[in-house]
Amino acid sequence: MAGALIVGLLLLVALLAPVLSPYPPDAINYRHLLSPPSTEHLLGTDDLGRDILSRLLYGAQLSLSAGISAVILSVLVGVPVGLVAGYAGGMTDELVMRVFDSIIALPPLVLALTISAVLGPGLVNATIAIAIVAVPTYARLIRGQVLSIKNNDYILAARSVGVSSRAVLFRHILPNVISPIIVQAALGVGFAIILESSLSFIGLGAQPPTSTWGSMVQTSFQYLELAPWFVIAPSVAIFVAVLGANLLGEGLRNFLDPNQKKAAQKT
Amino acid sequence: MFAFAVRRTAAAIPVLVMVSLIVFFLMRLLPGDIIDLIVSQAQVDVSEEMIAELRRQYGLDKPVYVQYYVWVRQILAGDFGLSFRSHQPVIEIILPRLMPTFQIGLAALFFSSLVAIPLGAISAARPNSIWDRIGAFGTFIGASMPYFLVGGLLIYFVSLQLGLLPPSGFVSPTDDLTDSIRHTIMPAITLALSLTAILIRQARASFSDVLQHPYIRTAYAKGLSETRVVVQHAMKNALLPIVTILGLQLGVILSGAVVTETVFAVPGIGRLLVDSILGRDYPIVQALVLLIAAAVVLATLLVDIVYGVLDPRSSRM
Repeated sequence: MAGALIVGLLLLVALLAPVLSPYPPDAINYRHLLSPPSTEHLLGTDDLGRDILSRLLYGAQLSLSAGISAVILSVLVGVPVGLVAGYAGGMTDELVMRVFDSIIALPPLVLALTISAVLGPGLVNATIAIAIVAVPTYARLIRGQVLSIKNNDYILAARSVGVSSRAVLFRHILPNVISPIIVQAALGVGFAIILESSLSFIGLGAQPPTSTWGSMVQTSFQYLELAPWFVIAPSVAIFVAVLGANLLGEGLRNFLDPNQKKAAQKT
Repeated sequence: MFAFAVRRTAAAIPVLVMVSLIVFFLMRLLPGDIIDLIVSQAQVDVSEEMIAELRRQYGLDKPVYVQYYVWVRQILAGDFGLSFRSHQPVIEIILPRLMPTFQIGLAALFFSSLVAIPLGAISAARPNSIWDRIGAFGTFIGASMPYFLVGGLLIYFVSLQLGLLPPSGFVSPTDDLTDSIRHTIMPAITLALSLTAILIRQARASFSDVLQHPYIRTAYAKGLSETRVVVQHAMKNALLPIVTILGLQLGVILSGAVVTETVFAVPGIGRLLVDSILGRDYPIVQALVLLIAAAVVLATLLVDIVYGVLDPRSSRM
């Protein structure tokens, strides 16, 4: 519940950024460089005198959409691959899973960094890198589900009356294995936001003038002593968004499958 | 048991081969290779023939699978090539960077075990108690906090405001042990946060599992206190899965090290990876990514085998 509330509010705030922002996000004001929070600038100003609150609100649009797009991309690739691998079995399954095993051997941020280096810096490329990192998670999850139900009677019945493999996969299997994917996707958005902000913090994510929460943190860090609010504001925004996504994922897990909770805690 | 270890090791080899293939091809996709670099650094105009000659010298005219074969043979011989920027052997650049990462990672594991194991035990012994709620809440906070928020707050309050600990850098324990510890504390706490979140869950699950056993009920029935039952009777069995799970956190630690070492300017391998990617020093990137993946695969393998030895039931597959 709390998760849905936080996520809903954040999405609303991002959508309403043009209405809510007290200043244009890129209005430079040289008379107010790094000024502390005040009634005029609720969260203070940054190194160019721009209003941090307005920049956070507009940054929400990019940070949230990068996180959500990365998850959508990885679900779109991971789910079909996992479905086919689990259903086909044999060599296909073996090969696909070995490839994913080796991708998972690379720590997420290390892999995302390397892929970003290959693709070049930028928010779109960072999003693609994050999506690639997450594909094995979804594929493995759905494959496990498919393996556990593919020999159920109703699947065998569908096949024996001549339903095509594709229809069996997408009309009979997919609807029954999708709930853990929904849970994982909610958690995945949080993870993607953390990864994007880490990439931006390192300098491989959003490039100026594009600015996400992560790239705000990157710029602000050198002013930590002078203007701590400049670091804290975007960092806390990231924290709240990730917390919201994690709480939402957990809430969905309990809602969609109460038995899942026990199983998840055991692994 | 021995057969299990051999079988498990054999299963790790294809993963390692696949990892090396992925790294090899990723590196071939990177913009700009060694030839471009030489050409860009040359003071004179470089003719097409000279470029072709250079490609021959570096073996880039050979078919890709031959290049891969040559590359793997060099790596197995411990030769990771030369750095683009400093022209030193890559391995000599990496080795001195291992110590800071290792020291901070180990300290982080220590801190998070110190918090997570008791908290997990209390949460499991008293489900839905205040401790259980604190544990569950801590799990969410820990898993959601970005490293730079924790690191930034620590640097600001502990170093800049209170002046208690140095804000950045690293000192080797052989040079000055006290100063080394002072430099390790904040990065280790930062790194420990998400680890603690994972560990609390594991510890709670593990203790809950053990506390279901009949011998625990017997211990309670004998009139032993809750503390004695949990600490003396349940602990030994509950710790086994927790300790082995620690070995599986190497990837989390290395991922976290990238950001943490950037925040605290620690000269470890995380910082080296970032610097090499930003500076396009691809031989170092390639070696680091490969070594990190190999370390993760080997750690997982080791955990499985150790677990098999300690709990023989798990190896009977």
